[in-house]
Amino acid sequence: MSYFVTRARRRAGLAVTAVAATLIALTGCSGDKTTGGGGDSAITVFNGSTGTIVENWNPFSPTYLQPTTGLIYEALYYYNLATEAAPQPMLGTAFSWSPDGKQLSITTRDGVTWNDGQPFTARDVAFTFDLIRRTPAINGTGMKLTSAVAKDDKTAVLTFPDVSYTTEAGILGDTPIIPEHIWSKITDPSKTINQNPVGTGPYKLKTFGPQSYVIEKNAAYWQAGKPEIRSVRYIALATADAASAALTAGQVDWMSAFLPGLDQLIKGKKDLGYVNTPALTASIFTCAGADLGCSGPQTDPAVRQAIYQAINRDQLNKLAGGGFAATASPTMLLPERDKKWIADAANVTTPAGPDAAKANQILDQAGWVKGGDGIRSKAGQRLSMTIQTVTGWSDFISLNDAMTQQLKAVGIEIKPTQLSWNEWNNNQVQGKFQLSLDSIGLGASSNPYFTYSPHYSSATTAKVGEPAGTSGNYVRYRNATVDKALTAAASTNDENLQKQQYAVIQTEIVRDLPYIPIYVNSMLTEFSTARATGWPTNDNKYALPASWRKWDNGVVMVNLKPVK
Amino acid sequence: MSAARVRGLPPMTAKLAAGLLIGGFVVLFGLLGPLVVQDPSRVDDIGLTGPGSGHWLGTTQTGQDVLAQLAYATRGSLTVGAIVGVLTLLLSAFFGIVGAYAGGWVDEAFSLFTNVMLVIPGLPLVIVISSYVPDKSLLLVSLVLSLTGWAGSARVLRGYTLSLRNRDYVLASRVAGERRWRILGVEILPNLIPLLASQVVFAVIFAILGEAGLSYLGLGASGSFTWGTMLYYAQNGLALRLGAWWWFIPPGLLLALFGAALSLVNFSIDEIINPKLRNQTRAARRGWRMSRAQLEKAKEATL
Amino acid sequence: MGYFLRKLGFYVVALWAALTVNFVIPRLMPGDPVDLLLAKLGQRGSVTPETRHSIEVMLGTDTQQSLWSQYAGYLHNLAVGDLGVSVTFFPASVTTIIGQTLPWTIGLIGLATVISFFVGVGLGTLAGWKRGSWLDNVIPVTTMFQAVPYFWLALILLFALGSLWPVFPLNGGYDVYNVTPGWNGAFLGSVLYYGTLPALTIILSSFGGWMLGMRNMMVSTLSDDYMVTAEAKGLRPGRIMRRYAARNAVLPSISGFAISLGFVVAGSIVTEAVFSYPGIGSALLQAVGGNDYALMQGIFLVITLSVLGANLLVDVLYSIIDPRTRARA
Repeated sequence: MSYFVTRARRRAGLAVTAVAATLIALTGCSGDKTTGGGGDSAITVFNGSTGTIVENWNPFSPTYLQPTTGLIYEALYYYNLATEAAPQPMLGTAFSWSPDGKQLSITTRDGVTWNDGQPFTARDVAFTFDLIRRTPAINGTGMKLTSAVAKDDKTAVLTFPDVSYTTEAGILGDTPIIPEHIWSKITDPSKTINQNPVGTGPYKLKTFGPQSYVIEKNAAYWQAGKPEIRSVRYIALATADAASAALTAGQVDWMSAFLPGLDQLIKGKKDLGYVNTPALTASIFTCAGADLGCSGPQTDPAVRQAIYQAINRDQLNKLAGGGFAATASPTMLLPERDKKWIADAANVTTPAGPDAAKANQILDQAGWVKGGDGIRSKAGQRLSMTIQTVTGWSDFISLNDAMTQQLKAVGIEIKPTQLSWNEWNNNQVQGKFQLSLDSIGLGASSNPYFTYSPHYSSATTAKVGEPAGTSGNYVRYRNATVDKALTAAASTNDENLQKQQYAVIQTEIVRDLPYIPIYVNSMLTEFSTARATGWPTNDNKYALPASWRKWDNGVVMVNLKPVK
Repeated sequence: MSAARVRGLPPMTAKLAAGLLIGGFVVLFGLLGPLVVQDPSRVDDIGLTGPGSGHWLGTTQTGQDVLAQLAYATRGSLTVGAIVGVLTLLLSAFFGIVGAYAGGWVDEAFSLFTNVMLVIPGLPLVIVISSYVPDKSLLLVSLVLSLTGWAGSARVLRGYTLSLRNRDYVLASRVAGERRWRILGVEILPNLIPLLASQVVFAVIFAILGEAGLSYLGLGASGSFTWGTMLYYAQNGLALRLGAWWWFIPPGLLLALFGAALSLVNFSIDEIINPKLRNQTRAARRGWRMSRAQLEKAKEATL
Repeated sequence: MGYFLRKLGFYVVALWAALTVNFVIPRLMPGDPVDLLLAKLGQRGSVTPETRHSIEVMLGTDTQQSLWSQYAGYLHNLAVGDLGVSVTFFPASVTTIIGQTLPWTIGLIGLATVISFFVGVGLGTLAGWKRGSWLDNVIPVTTMFQAVPYFWLALILLFALGSLWPVFPLNGGYDVYNVTPGWNGAFLGSVLYYGTLPALTIILSSFGGWMLGMRNMMVSTLSDDYMVTAEAKGLRPGRIMRRYAARNAVLPSISGFAISLGFVVAGSIVTEAVFSYPGIGSALLQAVGGNDYALMQGIFLVITLSVLGANLLVDVLYSIIDPRTRARA
């Protein structure tokens, strides 16, 4: 035992010397202006990987390493979901639709090279989409293409069988462009791990190991003088405890994790900061469609409206959301980012405190009468529902604990259950639940179509017992007015026409509330300014800062500046 | 070793007294605590707060009372321990004692089954099984723990039963024509009681620790309070890093105390099973020196 | 010869049972790896129904094989050493993952188990020899360490020695920042340094068991007749302790040790979760979380084989050391 202790002390001593040596090296560097500001800067990122890391740089594989998209490969445009902003040109510089909405022409950027030195042209773009068209296994977004051809070195033309305005964001913002001269030689693009990735992005692979890998600056990147950070190391950490320990010890510069008591954790560490960009609306999913087989009191819209009124969102945010959650909107859009899409000003935000009187009034009117135990009932049916969440999702479990208490006050009983992720997900897919806690995710762009189409369209639902579409209409909501409005919105790319349709949808869903919004959950990103500055802030949300986001990570890295 | 002596209660040593006292206190807390504390799930706007008036052991992240949770958790963990203790007793007694006493192919088959169960790795099996079961209750977790934990006991019991079976007084009863099941019930089982007791005590410790380990990995009983789930939530809430020792320390400490109490009880039981150990705890050194002195004398005598 | 045949028969049956359990249990689990992958993708961006199809085509889970033909295929694949492809780590093969993670586990936990065994047996020998001494009275305290939940102790130590007084590193298997893996001094030193705290926690919570067992066997052995004879012959006490008493008393501990060596792989899960150690235990947890049938089967197989192997080794060694075993059978 004493051996180990001495050994450890000696190692600690070595570490101190090493730090001192690095400091000397850094000071030496800052004096040397010929390096053009890049210097010897390196940062460390934790992007959520736990345990062993397996090499996979294939951007079409579902398990590729996250820096693949954004840092190594780039898309044609960048969609910033943190704010309401127009798509920013990346590898594309312009695009236009044919009047019938069936043909998309894309102009590509000049002067871009792949990191093996070959020039990038529109032929690479055409090849990428043609490869996707030819290979169902890599057609992740389900693109329906007739053809993809390069008219010349600067123009690629995609042709579709149907009116395809709604695929725009997916094609421009979510398709990695790959080099034809490499991928035309790969026999099965869905199975390769693409060991030496050749992309156009700001970084390229340096070394890979199962516990950590490093990417380094692409010196020939098309944005002049960028990136400024020389190299980025990715590490794996098993638990939130390990992550918070590594953060406070200064071993991680960028990570995104919900850490309870974050302010207290980083107190006194002047280099550490965080930014909160709430984006996912935590909601009660209710199995709403009695006609599709849902059963239970929650099929009565009055019950859903009463829950909406009765929950105390301030308390929920304080106890479960860590005080970091933002106010949601009953339209299920993001009140700040999507203001222009919300038709009725009264629907921009949810109430903050509970309105027990209103909840009671709604329930009384609907015929739910309070019984001896304080729980209401109607025609022999008790106003009692189960609410499911996943074991270990501690903030959702806290939500359930608190809501149980809050809803009891108006005579509603909810019984929380915790399930394994598999079971919970399976119940939602099959519609075998009464209430379930989940979040409305981010779409391909901030256009409300990507919120309303998957979650409210009857095309993505199914009878209870049959699987609904992935991330689809799990709540079994079917409304002909909504369906009609969605179809109308998809057939145009005129925002004003779309707004009219979304207004129709909003009226319907705010009344019916198949998803009862709680709050917009926090998305916390912790960073250290010891080695790099220029992180996104609440005043300058130039990208979603989450370290696990694809595409956004590239934009953040390009904007970082090394500390001199 | 006479049968009468084996059947006697263990002598009240300091170890046994301490073990019974601590263990008894924990059991009482688990039985009576939940009757007097507040609702362990009740949230409060005060959030994470240290011990003070109103909350003797402080509160959790959501303002739930730690003392109340501890009381319910004690009850939960003891329930797991009790269920696994009983099931292990039944399974190991059946496969160990009955097999060994019956002999022949029954013994062969039982012994083979026991040994196979013994070599199948327990914890991974428990993890795999419990990830299979979606909505885990305390009962289910206990069942899984006992299914994977009885084999070791059965092997110990079998060995001891085999040696008892060949003891003179058992052979004598056989020769005297006593019925086999009577011999098992009257001559053999009473001699096995201390061993059974010690195996059950071990099973209880391992069950409670096993449940805690599973819960720490997020695979424990959902929606119920045990020491393990309390620790899991405390760990998830970064209790240690936020300095909330009142949330993280008590469940572990109580578990350790209870485990230690059971170990102390087991020391005393061990001394009944193995009289050689008993000599030791009493004036052992004196006994050793005496025998050494005698040996010296004996040596001199032979010279 | 009959003794060895019987043993061999046992191991064949045990192996078959373990393999079958290994096959059946993961298949009974609910959920679908495709769902899981899609959900993971959904967190990173949008997912459409067509995505599902493409993943099904890729992973081949849409084939409706019967359970029996799957079982036959499973046994066949095992026989040829093909453990399949991991879903969680797609497209890496299960053998790759096991090959990457197993050395870490064996290194850390194997070493800790060996140290714990020698420390425990050594102290137990002394405690049994000097009955009633202070060392002997410490035994109840050391067994208390076993009653402490391992992860609780480990987390407290990690917090105290990693964060409050940063003597030891916080996580991982080696210093990923400054050291390159390979057979160089810096890497090996780093691995030792990073393994120290996890190893210490394992030793602390397990040596008490060895100590108690050894001490009890020593006490029992010391009162046997041949010990009295040895004393009578006037042999030196040190010789009696080591050559006569300890040698016989250690036999049961050795058999326990072999079994625990087999469980090294299994016991590592919690340790690796606490210390973010890159071993096979964390891979198993990831596999369970990801419904990764193939990886779970592979890891379970490795664990089972190691336990069986260790037991076989002990049986053979034991029958050599102690001829009575063969005679009894």
